[in-house]
Amino acid sequence: MSYFIKLGLVLLIITAIASGILAYVNDLTKDKIAENKVKAEELARIEVLPGTAKFDKQSVILPPVQAEPNPLKKQVAEGPLEFVYYSGLDTEGNLTGYTFVASQYGYSSEVKTMVGVDTAMNIIKIKVIEQAETPGLGANAATDVFRQRFEKKQISELKVDKDGGEIVSLTGATITSRAVTNSIAAGLQILTDAVGKEEER
Amino acid sequence: MRLFQEFTKGFIKENPVFIMALGLCPTLAVTSSVQNAIGMGLAATFVLVCSNIFISLLKGLIPGKIRIPCFIVVIASFVTIVDMVMYAYTPEIHKSLGLFIPLIVVNCIILGRAEAFASKNGVIPSIMDGLGMGLGFTLALIVIASIREILGAGQWLGMNVMPAAYIKSPMLIAILAPGAFIIMGLLMGLINQMKKKQGA
Repeated sequence: MSYFIKLGLVLLIITAIASGILAYVNDLTKDKIAENKVKAEELARIEVLPGTAKFDKQSVILPPVQAEPNPLKKQVAEGPLEFVYYSGLDTEGNLTGYTFVASQYGYSSEVKTMVGVDTAMNIIKIKVIEQAETPGLGANAATDVFRQRFEKKQISELKVDKDGGEIVSLTGATITSRAVTNSIAAGLQILTDAVGKEEER
Repeated sequence: MRLFQEFTKGFIKENPVFIMALGLCPTLAVTSSVQNAIGMGLAATFVLVCSNIFISLLKGLIPGKIRIPCFIVVIASFVTIVDMVMYAYTPEIHKSLGLFIPLIVVNCIILGRAEAFASKNGVIPSIMDGLGMGLGFTLALIVIASIREILGAGQWLGMNVMPAAYIKSPMLIAILAPGAFIIMGLLMGLINQMKKKQGA
């Protein structure tokens, strides 16, 4: 009997020490990690909206109807659905355009795309920032060739060619292409509405 | 001399992938490109050496009956620390290796070497064993990934090595999951055949 108590105690001590060390390292690194995440997102924003010196964070609360198809699925569980976008300003304070993150489930993963649009809501550039699609097929969505297909496109053209749109889909990866295209179109629609409302005010 | 043997045995004679068939899950998952293979191999080697050091130091303190949970706690904490420190201080490297680090916890080569070697040997031989096994694992990954990337994408380490016509419509199956099984099976068979001939 006492032997088993001893085993339990040894295991308890080892796991206690391990979790103590982990808690300490986590405390040490968590601020730095959060900072890096913000920095990486900032870099992606600058890439899709070149010539911008400053980004202003803005957001709109979505009415429940617009929640589907929903470009920010993850936030459903976190309360009211918020669509976050950034308006970019150059060094003289002129509006350069807007950026937002579009996200939709593709073939095997959530595909997140950073999108930059100019003030007339034409796409400047896109960048796939997170995906785990099939290598060799869907994963090609992150390549420059596919990204360039979105440049200068308007919302009316944002459909894959199989759905009668202007975006040439990736060979053998229509589902991934569709996820990227449709999530951008949905996000762009919300953005257009939000910016329009603001101008009326 | 014995130390040197502990180091070299992982390359061919006791290669973790081809001979011992350990760590097949990460092997199948990351060998779709040579770059991924090198990243995973080196990250696993680093963790393997460190966990071997810790386990060989702790071996006197851990009762035999609960050694496996203890090993897993040590390995998992170690991997998590590496992950957090890299994310905080070397975000660039973390970006390219980040995907593989959590996978290392479930890499049974690490647990296998802790159980079969480090828990029975001293620190120095354990380091050599970890280094050799880790590099052997890396080597195996690179061989499989080279074949898959050249056949499946017409590229090697991101450089085009096949004619443009091939790259346009490559043998896609090689880069998909079934291709990994087929190529790994063929390589294992080839090595077994070679071993048989050598033995006879």
